[in-house]
Amino acid sequence: MISRSSLARNAQKAACRSWAAQPLQRRAFAAAANTGAFESSDVSGLKVASRDAHGPTTKLAIVAKAGTRYQPLPGLAVGLEEFAFKNTQRRSALRITRESELLGGQLNASHTREAVVLQASFLREDLPYFAELLAEVVSSTKYTTHEFHEDVERVLHHKQATFNADVNALALDNAHAVAFHAGLGAPLYPTPSTPYQKYLNEEYIASYADVVYTKPNIALVAEGAPSQDLSKWVGQFFKDVPSASQSGQSLKVEASKYYGGEQRTSHTGGNAVVIAFPGSEVSNAKPEIAVLAALLGGQSSIKWSSGYSLLAKATAGTAGLSVTTSNLAYSDAGLLAIQLSGPAASVRKGAEATVKALESIANGSVSKEDVAKAVANAKFNVLDSAQQPDAALHLAGSGIVNTGSPYDIAGSVKAIEAVTADALKTTAKALLDGKATVSTVGDLFVLPYAEEIGLRV
Amino acid sequence: MVSLAPYVLKRPWLSRILKPVASWYVGASGYRKLGLRYDDLMEEERESVQIALKRLSSKESYDRIYRIRRAVQCSYQHKLLPKSEWTKPEEDVSYLQHIIDQVEAEIAEKDALDTASVIKKH
Repeated sequence: MISRSSLARNAQKAACRSWAAQPLQRRAFAAAANTGAFESSDVSGLKVASRDAHGPTTKLAIVAKAGTRYQPLPGLAVGLEEFAFKNTQRRSALRITRESELLGGQLNASHTREAVVLQASFLREDLPYFAELLAEVVSSTKYTTHEFHEDVERVLHHKQATFNADVNALALDNAHAVAFHAGLGAPLYPTPSTPYQKYLNEEYIASYADVVYTKPNIALVAEGAPSQDLSKWVGQFFKDVPSASQSGQSLKVEASKYYGGEQRTSHTGGNAVVIAFPGSEVSNAKPEIAVLAALLGGQSSIKWSSGYSLLAKATAGTAGLSVTTSNLAYSDAGLLAIQLSGPAASVRKGAEATVKALESIANGSVSKEDVAKAVANAKFNVLDSAQQPDAALHLAGSGIVNTGSPYDIAGSVKAIEAVTADALKTTAKALLDGKATVSTVGDLFVLPYAEEIGLRV
Repeated sequence: MVSLAPYVLKRPWLSRILKPVASWYVGASGYRKLGLRYDDLMEEERESVQIALKRLSSKESYDRIYRIRRAVQCSYQHKLLPKSEWTKPEEDVSYLQHIIDQVEAEIAEKDALDTASVIKKH
């Protein structure tokens, strides 16, 4: 039998709960009205960008212009990534790990060709702790010898081995090397044959950190943090971050130049071919390239069908082949890369089909409908990547460190909408007439030369 | 381990009085006559010392092994080194102790964190 008092208590609880839930709901409505663009501001010389969807968690990232492109010696960007969240002047690496574990936070460091990203994801109320932690990592990491030997080097070997066993990554890396030579062409991880001991030690890493971890060279990006709180804590904790490097050195930045060419590497771990052309940079100066990437495609966006994309249709019958096309955009250059992998014979067929598909676009034999689909897909890809929390943080951060403000997503979407079939035709023709980049990894007996599939290198 | 050394070192007058006695005692303990340094005598059968030894630079590590082997050789032969090769007081510097202290602090911190109890304040 249920007593009246217990019923009353339940009702009370329910009332309590609905009352407690209200503010959250109200927040959700506010979030829907949010445009999703980052608000950027300048807190005592450090550029800070944030957007707030009023969710319960926050992501905070430092994006430093320190990727493999800028490293003066091979491996320094990797070293910097590995030294993130290690011993600092104020606390040990173990304490950092355990404390953030107690708060339920996640710490993550990564590097790309252009940036080193230190990221923390945590509960909303722990913003001060993690803001302080990131400031500490940037300004007072110790770069000790024993950590270099015991942790950094050990992990580096594993990462190198993983990277070099992955034919896709290797082919893409080689494609960058062929396309851009130095700078963007620098390998993401030093190759096993690089005598990296000559170039990589804790002192060099520390001096690289001194150069790159300066206020004009980094951006602090937050997802899910109110901008007033953020600027308050940043003002307090990021005081120690220097505004210029102590050694007086500065980062060497050279404009990227596209070269093109061919590279063939034999590998027993699989087969991969990357066919690449000069692409569009992040600011999307050439929106046709984004549409072209969507039109070539290779992966179906719908189930049980090969989809509309030319490469997916052309390679539907080829066993075990995986094709993806993407415009790898960097701050001042881009690479339209078609990546093929699978059994050697299939990859060969796929490479031939790729060139045929490009030729068909250059001939103008692509239907209006397919172009419309490609435009819609390209638009979705741009907007989607701006909405994914991690990708959005990286994008906003690299926009700030490279151009001073987050990239204009709405502008590039507009540009994509304006792409016509004629523009695609001329672009594809120009790509085929120019120098291509072909990087082949795997069974070189079967995999074709660029000349054989009809590309100029 | 209880040591009076910090107490003595805090008082300059006391350390001035005791310094000659200490120097005599170190000389009398005899390790310098075998060409060793004080830090060569650290017992290796401890986790912290093992880790600390790995953190020595290759030069320091080589020199340490050399001194120990030379001392063992002397010990076999029941001889001392010629006086010119004895460790001079100014050469007898600590090269390992600070690393051991650092490693021990790391281990202590790890133990403390492993047994930490969380008090929620909110």
